[in-house]
Amino acid sequence: MDEQRIINEIKQYVEKNILAPSVTIDADTDLKSAGIDSFSTVEILLFIERKYGTAIPDDKLIPENFRTLRTLASTVHGLMA
Amino acid sequence: MHPFNKSLLPKKVILSGADCFHLVLDKHAQKHGAGGNVMRKIFHFNKPLSAGTIEAILKRSPVIYWLCNIRLREGLLFQKPCWEFIDKGSEIIVRQHQCAAENEVPREILGRDISIRSDRFIEADLVHYPSGACAFIVSWNHILLDAKGTTLLFEHLNAISENKEQDHALFFPGPEKKTNIITYIRNMYKVKHFVQQSAKPPVYSVGEKKKKSEEGLTAEKIIAFSSEETKIIIANARKAGSRFGPTLYLIACCSQIIDRLRRLKKRSGDLWIPVPYDGRLKGANGPLISNTVSFLFYRIPEQELTSVPATVKYLGAQMMEQIKLGIPQRYTLFLNMMRHVPLWLYYFLVSKTGKGVFASYLYTSTGDNFNNLRSLFGEPIRDISMIPALTFPPGLTFVFLKHDDQLSVNIAYSPDSVNPDELDFIEAQIKQLLITEH
Repeated sequence: MDEQRIINEIKQYVEKNILAPSVTIDADTDLKSAGIDSFSTVEILLFIERKYGTAIPDDKLIPENFRTLRTLASTVHGLMA
Repeated sequence: MHPFNKSLLPKKVILSGADCFHLVLDKHAQKHGAGGNVMRKIFHFNKPLSAGTIEAILKRSPVIYWLCNIRLREGLLFQKPCWEFIDKGSEIIVRQHQCAAENEVPREILGRDISIRSDRFIEADLVHYPSGACAFIVSWNHILLDAKGTTLLFEHLNAISENKEQDHALFFPGPEKKTNIITYIRNMYKVKHFVQQSAKPPVYSVGEKKKKSEEGLTAEKIIAFSSEETKIIIANARKAGSRFGPTLYLIACCSQIIDRLRRLKKRSGDLWIPVPYDGRLKGANGPLISNTVSFLFYRIPEQELTSVPATVKYLGAQMMEQIKLGIPQRYTLFLNMMRHVPLWLYYFLVSKTGKGVFASYLYTSTGDNFNNLRSLFGEPIRDISMIPALTFPPGLTFVFLKHDDQLSVNIAYSPDSVNPDELDFIEAQIKQLLITEH
C-alpha cells in the first residue's frame, strides 16, 4: 500500500468523523491548527489500528509523527513495510 | 431600535442532554447552599475601560439580548425542557465597582447568584482598581454556555466591536438527530453499567457527602506560571508519558495532591474524576449556546498513584479504553435520553449512583481556547482567569487556563471543603509537582 492511499483514507475518516464540515485539510495541514486535540488523536490511532491492523508503538507516539496527514501516513507506512 | 433582526432569534431552544445535567447540578447547588451554578470569566486590563463603550457593544449582540430575554419551560413528564424567547425588552447592564484590593473580585459579584429563575442569564461587571487597571467580568448560568461556547462568545463580541459580519446560524444549536427508543434503552444499560462500575464506592472526596455548605461562596487561589515555566510543564508532561498535550499530566498531578491530602487525613477510597470533553466537531464555530460536553470518567486506585508517570500511564489506558468503547458518545446519548425524566427523579438517580459523592475533586481546562485571545473590545488583555461553577461536594475544582503561552491554575474551592492549611498544602504541592521532572 502506498503512502498516498493511506493519506486519503485517514483524511476521509478525519473529515467524516472528527472535523466540522467547514474545515478542510490536505496532506500537509497542521492537524493541531485544524482543531485535532489529544482525544481526536486517540480516535485516529484507533482507526489506524482497525484499518491497517497496525498499532503504533510507544516510541513512535510522538507529536512529530502526528503533525500532518503526511507524517502520520509515513509512520504507518514505515510500520507496515 | 436594535442593530440586529430580532425575528431571527429562535423562539424556542430545546435543552441538550448536558444542559439538563446542569439542571441537576443547579438543584445540587441549591440543596447544598454552594452559591449557584454560575461561571465567571475575568479579563484584566492595564488601563481603565469605559463602561458605556462596553455596554454599547454588548447591546449590539443578539446572543446577549437573547440571554436576557428567555425563561425556562420545564419539561412535563416525557417532555424535553426548553428555553422560550419572551422578548420582554430586558437589556444587559454593565455594573461598575471600585475595589481597593488590586486584582480581586468584589464579594458582591462572587455572591450574586444567577439561578434558573433569574431575569437575565448573563451579567457584566467592570471593576476599577486604585492603579488605574480594571477587570471586566462576565457571569452566566452554566446551563446556557459551556467552555467552548464562552470562547465563541468573546470572539463574537470582538467581531461586533470590529464591525465584522457573522453567521447567526452558528449561535444556536441546530436540529437534533432523531434517536429511536430501542437505541436509547440499549445504550442506557451500557452507560448505566459503566458509570456504576466506575463510580462505585468507596470513593474518596475532598468534600464530605451530604454536608451543607455554610459559607455558600466560591473562594479561589490563582497560581500563575511564566511562559518559561509553562514550557517546562509541557516538556515534563511529555516526559511523564502525556504524549498529545498535557491534559493527562495535569490530571495526574492534581490526583497526586488529592491522594496526599487523603493520606494526611487518614481516609480511604479510590479517586474518581469525571473530566468534561467538548463534543463539538473539531474546528466548528458553533453552537455558542448550550452545553455540548461529554465526559471521560477516570478512576484511580491507590496503587496507581505511586508516581506521576505511573498515574499518567494508568489514565492513558483508561482514556484509550473509553474512546474505544465510545463512552463519551454513549454518555451524550444517555444524557439526551435523561431529558425525558422528571428533574426530581433525575436528581435522585444521579445522587444514588455515587451515594452523594459527585467526584473526588473536579478538573477543567480551557486548553488552547484562550491562548491567542490577546484583546477584547480592541483593548489588550493583561490576563484572563475563570471562576467555575463550584459543585459542592466535592467543593474543589482545578481550573487550568492558558493565555499568551502562560499557564495558570485557579484552585476554586469552598472553605467548607478546604481549610487554609490544606489550601497552602495544595498550592505548594501544585507548584512543585508541575515544575518537577518526574
